Amino acid sequence: MIEILRRWWKPFALLILLLYPWILRAPYYHVLGFNVMLFATMATSWNIMGGYTGYKSLGHSTFYGLGAYLVAIAANELGWNPLISAPFLALIVALVAVLLGWIMLRTSGSAFVIATIAMLLIFRLTALNLREITKGAPGLSQPLPPWTPEFSRMPFYYYMLAWLIIAIFVSWYIRRSRFGLGLVAIRDDEGKAEMVGVKTTLYKMLAFGISAYFVALGGGVWSYFTSHISPVFAFDIIVGVDMILMTMLGGLGTLWGPVLGAFILVPSADLILFSFESNTIYLAVIGLMMMAVILFLPKGILPTIEGWIQDRRAPRAAHQGALSMAEMHGLTDEPPSPAKEARHD
Amino acid sequence: MHLPSWNVLIQVTIIGILTGGVYALMATGLTLIFGVMRVINIAHGAFLILSAYISYWMFTAYGLDPFLSVMVSVPILFVIGIIFQRYVLSRVKGDPGLGVLLTFAMALTLEGVMGSLWESTGRSIRTAYTSKVYALELSDLTVRLPWVRVGGLVAAAMALAAIFLFLRYTNLGRAIRATIQNRSAAQLMGVNVERVQAMTFGIGLASVAAGGALFSMIWTFNSGSHEEWISKMLSIIVLGGMGSLPGTFLAAIIMGVAESVAAVVMTSYLSPIVFYLILFITLIFRPQGLLGIKVREG
Repeated sequence: MIEILRRWWKPFALLILLLYPWILRAPYYHVLGFNVMLFATMATSWNIMGGYTGYKSLGHSTFYGLGAYLVAIAANELGWNPLISAPFLALIVALVAVLLGWIMLRTSGSAFVIATIAMLLIFRLTALNLREITKGAPGLSQPLPPWTPEFSRMPFYYYMLAWLIIAIFVSWYIRRSRFGLGLVAIRDDEGKAEMVGVKTTLYKMLAFGISAYFVALGGGVWSYFTSHISPVFAFDIIVGVDMILMTMLGGLGTLWGPVLGAFILVPSADLILFSFESNTIYLAVIGLMMMAVILFLPKGILPTIEGWIQDRRAPRAAHQGALSMAEMHGLTDEPPSPAKEARHD
Repeated sequence: MHLPSWNVLIQVTIIGILTGGVYALMATGLTLIFGVMRVINIAHGAFLILSAYISYWMFTAYGLDPFLSVMVSVPILFVIGIIFQRYVLSRVKGDPGLGVLLTFAMALTLEGVMGSLWESTGRSIRTAYTSKVYALELSDLTVRLPWVRVGGLVAAAMALAAIFLFLRYTNLGRAIRATIQNRSAAQLMGVNVERVQAMTFGIGLASVAAGGALFSMIWTFNSGSHEEWISKMLSIIVLGGMGSLPGTFLAAIIMGVAESVAAVVMTSYLSPIVFYLILFITLIFRPQGLLGIKVREG
């Protein structure tokens, strides 16, 4: 049973996702679907830095906002189509992130977390005050998409679905590469990783840049999607918090955890917003959920389930100890333990 | 950007020093908590706003003077602090990043609860003496000192003195300082570290409660303000050197002056950026701050 599931769930899930906008045809479901794809992509991206490398950034909304503004300005000033320009403009943001990473990654642990918050606040204040470029607090408007209204959300949905698949592929590729092993080694013990020859600074900067890329892309697409952006919403810390919560709920440092988290959280967030009709209650609910996940489900859903399955198969094996950190964090189908592998570098 | 006259500069510097005193009281708990627990309590700003709301409602509903409403808010936050540390924060072990995320989640929760209970209107306490100004005559210039600010500085100095005396002369205070210096050595000497941690969190929140009462008279706040204020407090304790009380004090005064000077040199709209830049630059180039320990790996 589990074997069949393992083999076939991916094509099956893809089929459902491709048919989804035709099954549920109300525009609401298209918006919801787009949001799920958007956040799944961004959470997958955040996970490369926060999960694999262990540097938990609270300021990833910086890249979301930068992407949104770059795409909107390019559309207004140069007439570039956002859906074409976003992947390229996101490269610029990724480059900015690598440079910022060069400075910020001199810190770690909680100092890194507050440095990322400071980074976000600096960018937000700058966006509020550079009125010639960003139009300040009221924000920027963009032209509406050219296609007819009844299709309005569907192209966005498929576009983001495609990018989700690309992001998952990138994440999967990184995880099984030497680069990914280096990142996991940094998370487990940065000093040791450095000693066995992992170029920690370079690796961290690259991971920061990659994890900024898809977030910036998402921001760019979102700015076209909503057609009006302002600094408070583009550089909203909650966007970054959502990515973290999704990743931690699904499974920090796992390939599918962030995706699962987005598929659970985005619809339930909508449900909460609908039933309370209040933004502030929403904050309280995600705050409480985040606390609950950190306290009671610190590994996330996927690694916990994986643990159960292993327990049932070989009740003793799971408790024999000698599990490397990587295995505990749900990288169980990766044979080599990072420390051993990194030694060959 | 324009340079104001000397008169104005002296005036804003003095206001900045007065403000800095209140900042020092607000940030003291944060640095104590970091020193003992090695966790940055991002919920500190939200607790500040919570205690400001307590003072606000005490004043609005019962006419209780904010200088006296600390009698209510300090015990409440002290108990909340002990419970939060004992039953929530102490369960997270290992990764310090997770502890930070947990306190951040607490901040969001508080913001949500406060925002739903008390709408987003900006609140501030206006007492009978709010607009009174004391004019200080110095040879050829007059410095105008708002009463509330002066009272705030005096109250803050008293509260800080109490905290200093407590840390210096009581057994618990000694245990707290020992834990800040070296946790495992303190444990070996028979210090009950878990109890010290819970008490420290309680004291940390109690001090922010006292700060919140003063805060509610000087600034306007709503449930969302905590984000801005936690950033200010963080930059103060990072600049001072995390875990160092004298450092926090010094940095609070520096920041108070820097901010009020920046408000006249640049615009008051842009002046908070001074805080964030100082935070950013200190973390990266002098992580031990002015008088403290390195926190890059904190």
